[in-house]
Amino acid sequence: MTVAELMKRLGLHSDAYLVVRDEEILTRDVRLKAEDAVDVIPVISGGTPPQPSPEGRG
Amino acid sequence: MRCIKCRKPANVEVRRHRSAFCAGCYPGWFRDQVDRVVTHDRMFKRDQRVLVAISGGKDSLALWHALLKLGYQADGMYIRLGIADYSRRSQAKSEAFAALHGLTLHQVDLEGDEGFKVPDLADQRGGKPCASCGTVKRYHFNKLAADLGYPVVATGHNLDDEAATLFGNVVHWQTDYLGRQGPVLESTHPKLVRKVKPLYRLAERDTAAYAVIERIDYILEECPMAKGAKSLEYKDLLNRLEESQPGAKHRFLVGFLKEGRKAVKGAEPVVLRECASCGQPTTAEVCAYCRMVERGKRKAAGKAERYART
Repeated sequence: MTVAELMKRLGLHSDAYLVVRDEEILTRDVRLKAEDAVDVIPVISGGTPPQPSPEGRG
Repeated sequence: MRCIKCRKPANVEVRRHRSAFCAGCYPGWFRDQVDRVVTHDRMFKRDQRVLVAISGGKDSLALWHALLKLGYQADGMYIRLGIADYSRRSQAKSEAFAALHGLTLHQVDLEGDEGFKVPDLADQRGGKPCASCGTVKRYHFNKLAADLGYPVVATGHNLDDEAATLFGNVVHWQTDYLGRQGPVLESTHPKLVRKVKPLYRLAERDTAAYAVIERIDYILEECPMAKGAKSLEYKDLLNRLEESQPGAKHRFLVGFLKEGRKAVKGAEPVVLRECASCGQPTTAEVCAYCRMVERGKRKAAGKAERYART
């Protein structure tokens, strides 16, 4: 199974996660072995980020 | 997949640029993107001191790290928001990063200095305090930068943050916000410091990859108060679009900044004066922060009273 297939099977967007094996980030074409242990790290953060308010305080 | 620079096996793919990089070449590409934006958008120069707004997360720490590696003079500022264990852990990550690199990290303690915490700002119906938290951060980053004479504050807002904000402002047709959204917010008052967003063309995944490769120890967990926040819903929607149309987020944001923003430029120019309570710049008699602090203090006092009775 490739990293892309793993993400699809998990129902995860590739832009929202990093897949890491042995401290190395993997691209989506990398083929995983059955014995591989990988970390799927979420990259999305934040509530409403600080933005300019209508009062003008940037 | 191969690194476009050295042809070694790639580690990080940047689909919107149809590029991929190995772990050795990626940090240089990332920093080059930051430097280009800082120069192209005339954010600041190497002889200016920059105050970086630090949260302990990947974006702010990656930004701080990249600016230092690029030779910029960057100090940090962290606000203790009082969000229980999450704040303690993010503070520890921020302090550890500053100590490791021998950097200055200014801090504001919301509870100690102001008498309330961010959770006190959630509305009575159990709403999110994210917008109020944003007001707290904007106020203190600006005030501290102005008090200490920093000419510019840099935040870690990335492409995903900016695209999600734009999407939210379009969905609700917030023309005031749309007119002011951009990577550089100029100073329009002597007490209002310039704000810049050097990561606005880099995706959230790009900054996370940079942090992992550079072994930056950031807080991985999400703010517990942000769970269910609208901005996260917008990011999810945009990532779904990005999956089938790589580059959609970039085209949406950069297209708006180049073309769309002109269409909402007709918004009335804002006249700022000093808040009657704290003296910070505002359009109102009393600024949004002072009004919010009063509400927060009342809520905290009410809680303490109820606790004392039980």
